[in-house]
Amino acid sequence: MYEEILEDIAHNSALRETNTAVKLATGAGAILLCLLSPGFFAPLFVAVTLVLALVLLARVDIHTLLHVYTAPALFALFSIAVIVLVSGGGECFWRWQPLPWFALSLSRDGINQGVLVLARFAGGTTAIAFIALTTPMTDLFAVMKRARVPDEVTDLAMIIYRTIFVIMAHVVQVYRAQIMRLGYSTFRESVRSFATLCGAVFIASWEAGEDLVRAMEARCYDGKFAVLGRDRPPAPLSVAAVALFFLTTGALAVTTADITLI
Amino acid sequence: MGRVILEARDIWYRYPRGMEAIRGISFHIWRGEKVAVVGPNGAGKSTLLLMFNGMVKPDRGIILFDNEPIRYDRAALRELRRKVGFVMQNPDRQIISPTVFQDVAFGPVNLGYSGEEVRKAVERALAQVGLQGFERRPPHQLSGGEKKRVAIAGVLAMDPDVLILDEPTTGLDPSGSEDIMELLDELHHQGKTVIISTHDIELAYPWADRAILLTRGRILQEDVPDIAFGDPELVRMARLSMPTLLELYIELKKRGFSLPERKPKTVLDMLNVIDRAFRNRLCYTQPGRITVLDVDAPCKVSLSEWRARHPGVSLGAMGTRAKQRAAEEKITPEFTYGVIDKCILKALLGEDSMIVTTGSMAGRVRERVQEFSREFNLDIEVVMARETLE
Repeated sequence: MYEEILEDIAHNSALRETNTAVKLATGAGAILLCLLSPGFFAPLFVAVTLVLALVLLARVDIHTLLHVYTAPALFALFSIAVIVLVSGGGECFWRWQPLPWFALSLSRDGINQGVLVLARFAGGTTAIAFIALTTPMTDLFAVMKRARVPDEVTDLAMIIYRTIFVIMAHVVQVYRAQIMRLGYSTFRESVRSFATLCGAVFIASWEAGEDLVRAMEARCYDGKFAVLGRDRPPAPLSVAAVALFFLTTGALAVTTADITLI
Repeated sequence: MGRVILEARDIWYRYPRGMEAIRGISFHIWRGEKVAVVGPNGAGKSTLLLMFNGMVKPDRGIILFDNEPIRYDRAALRELRRKVGFVMQNPDRQIISPTVFQDVAFGPVNLGYSGEEVRKAVERALAQVGLQGFERRPPHQLSGGEKKRVAIAGVLAMDPDVLILDEPTTGLDPSGSEDIMELLDELHHQGKTVIISTHDIELAYPWADRAILLTRGRILQEDVPDIAFGDPELVRMARLSMPTLLELYIELKKRGFSLPERKPKTVLDMLNVIDRAFRNRLCYTQPGRITVLDVDAPCKVSLSEWRARHPGVSLGAMGTRAKQRAAEEKITPEFTYGVIDKCILKALLGEDSMIVTTGSMAGRVRERVQEFSREFNLDIEVVMARETLE
């Protein structure tokens, strides 16, 4: 399961023990700077810096990182192509009008807009990847608790997180059992098998829910859910590094605001 | 054996809109006992065990804990569940929190322990099951055996007097099953009353002090394992099979061999039976020596150093801390279950062996070997590791 792989990478990351708030601030701050920067240099700088941090500091395998980028990159490239070809302005290099009311063109403003969006995509995605690949969900729960998110929300999130893996294992089992008995050999069969899969998973989830209540009752549930509060305090060096990263990105955003590719 | 800790008096239970699951069961469990409730699928084992911590209320009859009838109000149930811990068959259904620490801490937090008390309870429980360092791991990354240990730790963190485990070895490989049974032995040795349900008769036979044979909601037999499992007719009625060693003993007896009265529970016992029947001697050579390394001893003996000085000596690790010590020194023990018996077997072949264990269990090793030596008029030497290095 892909989600499981991401979680596993985060658990084994060399930055796992770094203070969660520092990592979250890095990712969130980077996203904000990417969005605020009017030029493409600052988001590109964010992407390069965070990729280097992921590969060199967090020791994330480069192939895994590329794999993480694949799906969003396909989506982004398609969107950027549309932006470049549809938005106009400035000098026009190429134009094609297949229909009277519809034209595709390559213009200076369109290309510059596309490059900016591409850079923001690279920076933003890397910032999200930075959080996802260095901070397991379990650490985020502790941050949620400290951030005074209502207990009901945090507890529910924790139960959902735990249950996802249990139900996912069940889905995989049922799906494999169906595949082995040629459950998806024809379209008609696929529809029927998928419906059965949904039914089986619903029943299993219901039973898992009942067992959850029993398991909680058996351990004296009284409305409290333990939270792993242990987190290393922010190391001065990491705080300084993040501050330097923000300052450099901010400075780049201001000084390169007017620079365009063409 | 102390006093009765749990008792069932004429218990009846019918599933909602279903068949009768328990039909007039009465029995008792002594404090400090190891009891196996054995029966085929659908015999009512799980339902019966769930009654002991108030998860299921009988339709008729009463359950007593510490000679007091169980009350089903919220406060009384909380207290009961603290004292009678229940480990479900499927650990995935019992582990409810996203990390090992949180899950083990669940009980203590709900019992109102302070932060420091919770931390201590979790540390103690994880040490008991040998999972230190697993605190931040999410359960889905653990193996079946590790999940089972987390589930047991979650219950141990509440420090219960009685530990009930529903099919504790289901889904585990043979080595994982042996590890869990060894852990249950260790917990029993620490003073817990342990009750398991199982249909693995080979596992229950050597482990239990007493076995309760259950079928179709009724008790067929309740006795020490060699009697409970020794009647072919009852075993057949319970849709089980007789333990191999016991069956072999009965078959030898039928053929007129003169056998010791004590029925064999282990390979060592069986060897004794065979030697008595065919050769009337147990050991044909000078018995080997058993060295005991106490991992709690203040004078720390290096396991690898000892092994380097005594090459070719078999090693057994008894108990969680002993296994951890072996792992720390990157040594794989030859035996991790039934260690004392296996080392006695080695001694009978004239070979030396070593048992790595904790302080409290070291005395048990000496007692067991001395008892065996007395019974068979042998002289198997037991020495402490530090003595052999001096």
